[in-house]
Amino acid sequence: MKLKMLLGSFFLLFPVFLTGCWSSHEVNTLAITVCIGIDKIENGYRVTEQVINPKAIASKRSINESPIILYTSEGQSIGEIIQSLTTQSSRRIYHSHLRMVIFGEEVARDGIKDILDYFMREREYRTDFYFAVAKGASAKEVLSVLTPLEAIPGISMYSSLETSQNFWAPTKSIKIIELINLITAEGKNLVLPSIEISAGTAMPNSTEVLNKDTGIKKPIFTGLGVFRKDKLVGWLNEDESKGYNYITGNVKKTVGTIYYGNNDRITIDVMKVKSDMEVYRVNDKPAIAVNIDMLGTIKTAVGTLDVSKEENQSLLNKLSEDRVTYFCNKAITTVRTEFKTDIFGFGEAIHKKYPELWGTIKDNWNDDFVDLPVNITVKSKVTQLGQITTPLFGEEKE
Amino acid sequence: MYNYISKVIRYLNANSHNNKAQNVNQAEVVLLSTLAKNLDNLVEHLGSINAIITRYLDMYLMLSTDSDPANLLADMGRNLAHQDISMDINENITRIKNTFGHNSDLDIRHSSFNDTKDIVYASLYIGSLIDRGMLNDLSLALIKFDQQCRDAKRSITIDELTGYFSGLTDSSERSGYETLCDDLLSGNTVFLINGYSKFFTIATPSYVGRSVEEPTSQTVIRGPKEGFTEKTINNILLIRKRIKHKDLRVETLDIGSVTHTMVTLMYLHKTAPDKVVQEVRTRLGKIEIDGVLEGGYIEELIKDDRYSIFPTFLSSEKPDSVSAALLEGKVAILVDGTPYVLTAPALLVEFLQASEDYYHHFIISSMIRFTRFIAFFLTLLVPAVYVAVTSFHQEILPTSLLVSIASQREGVPFPGLIEALTMEFTFEILREAGIRMPRAIGPAISIVGALVIGQAAVEAGIISAAMVIVVSITAISSFAIPNYEMSNAIRAVRFILMFMAGVLGLYGVFMGLIILTLQLCKINSMGIPYMTPIAPRIKGGNKDTIFRFPLWQLKKGSPSRRGTHSSVKQQYPVVSKQKEEQVVR
Repeated sequence: MKLKMLLGSFFLLFPVFLTGCWSSHEVNTLAITVCIGIDKIENGYRVTEQVINPKAIASKRSINESPIILYTSEGQSIGEIIQSLTTQSSRRIYHSHLRMVIFGEEVARDGIKDILDYFMREREYRTDFYFAVAKGASAKEVLSVLTPLEAIPGISMYSSLETSQNFWAPTKSIKIIELINLITAEGKNLVLPSIEISAGTAMPNSTEVLNKDTGIKKPIFTGLGVFRKDKLVGWLNEDESKGYNYITGNVKKTVGTIYYGNNDRITIDVMKVKSDMEVYRVNDKPAIAVNIDMLGTIKTAVGTLDVSKEENQSLLNKLSEDRVTYFCNKAITTVRTEFKTDIFGFGEAIHKKYPELWGTIKDNWNDDFVDLPVNITVKSKVTQLGQITTPLFGEEKE
Repeated sequence: MYNYISKVIRYLNANSHNNKAQNVNQAEVVLLSTLAKNLDNLVEHLGSINAIITRYLDMYLMLSTDSDPANLLADMGRNLAHQDISMDINENITRIKNTFGHNSDLDIRHSSFNDTKDIVYASLYIGSLIDRGMLNDLSLALIKFDQQCRDAKRSITIDELTGYFSGLTDSSERSGYETLCDDLLSGNTVFLINGYSKFFTIATPSYVGRSVEEPTSQTVIRGPKEGFTEKTINNILLIRKRIKHKDLRVETLDIGSVTHTMVTLMYLHKTAPDKVVQEVRTRLGKIEIDGVLEGGYIEELIKDDRYSIFPTFLSSEKPDSVSAALLEGKVAILVDGTPYVLTAPALLVEFLQASEDYYHHFIISSMIRFTRFIAFFLTLLVPAVYVAVTSFHQEILPTSLLVSIASQREGVPFPGLIEALTMEFTFEILREAGIRMPRAIGPAISIVGALVIGQAAVEAGIISAAMVIVVSITAISSFAIPNYEMSNAIRAVRFILMFMAGVLGLYGVFMGLIILTLQLCKINSMGIPYMTPIAPRIKGGNKDTIFRFPLWQLKKGSPSRRGTHSSVKQQYPVVSKQKEEQVVR
């Protein structure tokens, strides 16, 4: 009896093997995509996928092969185009490790709604990849740039964005959930980091160029692209992007330089920034006060100002406050005059505090936003001097 | 007397409805006549008759479907008739010679006292079993005694001679032919005296055997380095030396109808739960087998869950471990001829504990033991999870790790499961070969082994480098499990999990783990749940499972308190179901 049961279960197990391991796919049968670029063409899209070439990554033998392979296809529906890429690739294209999605500028200006549906709906995508908009180049061109140090450009861009977001004020990284929330939100609009190809002597599109040249071009995050709903309307430069991030509390750590007199340049290492948005109601009209608290240390002090002196401390505070206020006002002015879209989330803040007031103004918000009184108050504290006190060559006697 | 006969008849009547009715009647006649003939002997040896009749009745009942009761009873009759020795020394010797079939190592020496040769005696022994030195001493003593008598110029009587024999060291007066044969086979010297219906046995067994050496399979850095040997006598000594207490009980059984192996039960009276001791005793008593050559025979025959691959007896080569188990209230089973002593009940956690845990500082010990538990799970899961992740769930890996694995797997022709199975199987072969091959060619296998599961295999492009790491981690982790049987069980489970991982991915691995947990919770060791004290949970019992709490914190009576004598009787949850099954070979 027991033997029969044993044999029975043994035979029952056979079909399991016959199905050929359902849904299993070995790593070496996959083409791992790290980056997708989407460009606009005449009636449709051109999708470029940056796929890892594992052979070239293997550290042992240095094969003179490109670490990435680009597959490009054109069509009308994103899902269809990506599926059709299998006709070019010998392996199944695997999207779970996607790191970056780069929109071409025209696509972004046209609206990215239709594309996002695909990325949310398709089950193979995780939700931890970043978005960026290519500026001054097509997405395909950005994807074709090889990077030194990190062999896979997609990963390189991802890490660069992640690191700079933590240590450099002008960038902001956005993942898909936040992206969609920003598009659907009322009273807040989307910004995406812009990516450019930096100036350089040579375009690194092969490993030879990468190995030979030092002044090569690189993909570089420059500022932010401003959206109204899902459509790109313009760009913020570095200063304005900084301002945007200060207002929205998106600065973690950064570095800024303040100028005093003719020769003094003092660079402040901003350690901690806290941003706070307060809404007031004045004559049934909203008003916004943004309070920014920051804490900094001195990174470099060039010139004659003795930063170690007590009375100069308040001067430093004052100077750095002015500097940040300048960034913020500049960002607000630019956005108001040129783009007329509330990327700062003022509307959202009003909505939260005075919902009924928001009900009366929300329909026309992007125009009303232009007239919204906004008061920026920055409080800065430059506390630490670094490892030395006075400027090294500050008090040269002549 | 009457009771026995009527009992027999009752049994026979009970079975007479079958087609052997006529045989039974015939058998009845034979039996009754035999009994009548040997009435004298029967009265004298009631005890042994009881045993014989019971044995034959059992046999009869068991084999009643296909054996002839007449033959059986006739055999029994013969046995009853011949169980005593004859008064005539020559008749006895002839009989012994016939029984032993003229063995060349059976020595029979005729001697006589008094010149008149009126007292003839013979010394018998099996030359290969006895200690020559002791025999020499014995002979010398006899010659001296004879000389004394000659000097005194007097003849001695049988009474005097028997009196003299009784006075010798390790001597005993015995009767019965079977006893005589057993005594000879135990390495004793037997003296037969003409005209005397009993005989004398003098213990002269040879104690040749390995001396106490360091255990080879359970090594320690700190702690006693004595190991058990093949001789039970020595092993009992090693334990008694450690536990000098009057409560330490030693019970000896004779198991194996041909080998007559001495199986010894040891336990601390009052500490070991009576139910457990009784359970072990009953189960051992039920064993019927030709031969017992190692403790494994006993383990397999009295195990609670016979089909479970998990060991439910802890085998140890170290007297200190066994002593600790006895102090915890466990029962030790010592089998003559093997240096491994079994202790039961054995719990899962014990297989991951080492005696050394108790000899080091408790924090260090806890750390080491924790490492061992981690190793346990690593050796169980690493290949399965690797296969599952690389063939099914690439998305759960960090991108850089996936890229690294992908680049290693580039050009590897097999899917993950086949690759893992190949490597694991190769390692198993290597391991088995390492044990079986002659010592002299040891270095050869390490050289070849390093090739097949090393860099050479990777460079040949057959397997990926990550797989080598996986196999190596699995291997070293499996060596960290202190008990070899447990390590084997885990090996088997590992392969099952690998299969499930290869077929169903992590889903399969988790299914396998659930089944494994169910199995572990189901099995018992001598009626004690295997997962005690984790499931069922015992209050305070987990102070010595994954971590070892300091000795002063281990409560008296917790199931795994080592090295401290506790006086609490009942340390385990209630003994569950008693095994009623007959243990038959």
